[in-house]
Amino acid sequence: MTLEDFKQTIESLGTDPAHWPIDTRVQCEMLLESNSDARLLLNEQSELDLLLQKIEAPVFLGLETRILNQDLPPRQQSVIDNIVQWLIPDQLGAQLWRPAVAACLPLVFGVLVGNFFSFGVTEQELALEYWDDELALLSFNDFSSDLDEAEL
Amino acid sequence: MTDEELMLAICKGDQSAYQAVVKEHLKPISHYAYRLLGNQKDTEDITQETFLKLWINAATWKPEKSKLTTWIHRITHNLCVDYLRKHSRVQTQDNFEEYLVDSSEETNDGNARFTQRDLCRDSEKIRILDSALNQLPESQRSAIMLCTVQNFSNKEAAVIMDVSVKALESIIARAKRSLKSIIRTMADNGNTGELLKKQKV
Repeated sequence: MTLEDFKQTIESLGTDPAHWPIDTRVQCEMLLESNSDARLLLNEQSELDLLLQKIEAPVFLGLETRILNQDLPPRQQSVIDNIVQWLIPDQLGAQLWRPAVAACLPLVFGVLVGNFFSFGVTEQELALEYWDDELALLSFNDFSSDLDEAEL
Repeated sequence: MTDEELMLAICKGDQSAYQAVVKEHLKPISHYAYRLLGNQKDTEDITQETFLKLWINAATWKPEKSKLTTWIHRITHNLCVDYLRKHSRVQTQDNFEEYLVDSSEETNDGNARFTQRDLCRDSEKIRILDSALNQLPESQRSAIMLCTVQNFSNKEAAVIMDVSVKALESIIARAKRSLKSIIRTMADNGNTGELLKKQKV
């Protein structure tokens, strides 16, 4: 490693050996041991870095108050955000019933749709065929005796 | 509260979380903006706008991509660069950059020593360094501020400045050479006034 390479390394990566690439770190350390100019260069760069860190930030009186007092625009959430916020709220009490209500929505939707639309099933069919069969099946009557009589 | 928790609270409109973030980041942000803009009024305006943008765009911060401080510095950097472009100050700095390159070439012995004249005490050195830092082009000031003064890693500084790490390393190296060159010139002239006069011409 030449002195120019070393200079480039400490200028671009800083004077802390921990920030140097592992493969060049050994070469840099060897150069520092053998070359007094390299050591001088490192000291100068370290002093420059140290002085740069000592530069104080200017104080802006009243800036914090000005920023904290500025009018902030109201938060505009998307529809999805609002729904998620409603379903999973921060308050503990509301955390259980809201998802339950949300889960019931498909059922309510089905009842409403079923109430307003017949889907091709007419009332006449219901009265004469469908409902009679349904009620007979649901009555849990024992029809085996009827069948026996019919066979006889 | 962690940065993630604070930003989540800000997303939900929590102003106390916003206040906490402002108090934590105001000093480094205003210092960075001041170094780029060079005057108090613009610094205050840009700093205020930075935190307003933070409030509005809080949801766009991705904690897995960058630290909060990196993200806020990037907002400030972009605002400052836009401001400098709009107010045509870049040209002046470009002219000065040429001057710096010339100066660096003159000191091509590889040992531009800013301690060579035992110039002055530490505080005087800092004052001169402060003045010299203000003479650097915007990109070099940014790089020095982020990497040396505010201790960002080269990778983080590259993200803030929206350049590659290699480009950033090159900018830092040039900035440090320029700084040493300016300080050497100041030491040769005996004061900072000569340099400032030279620039105005």
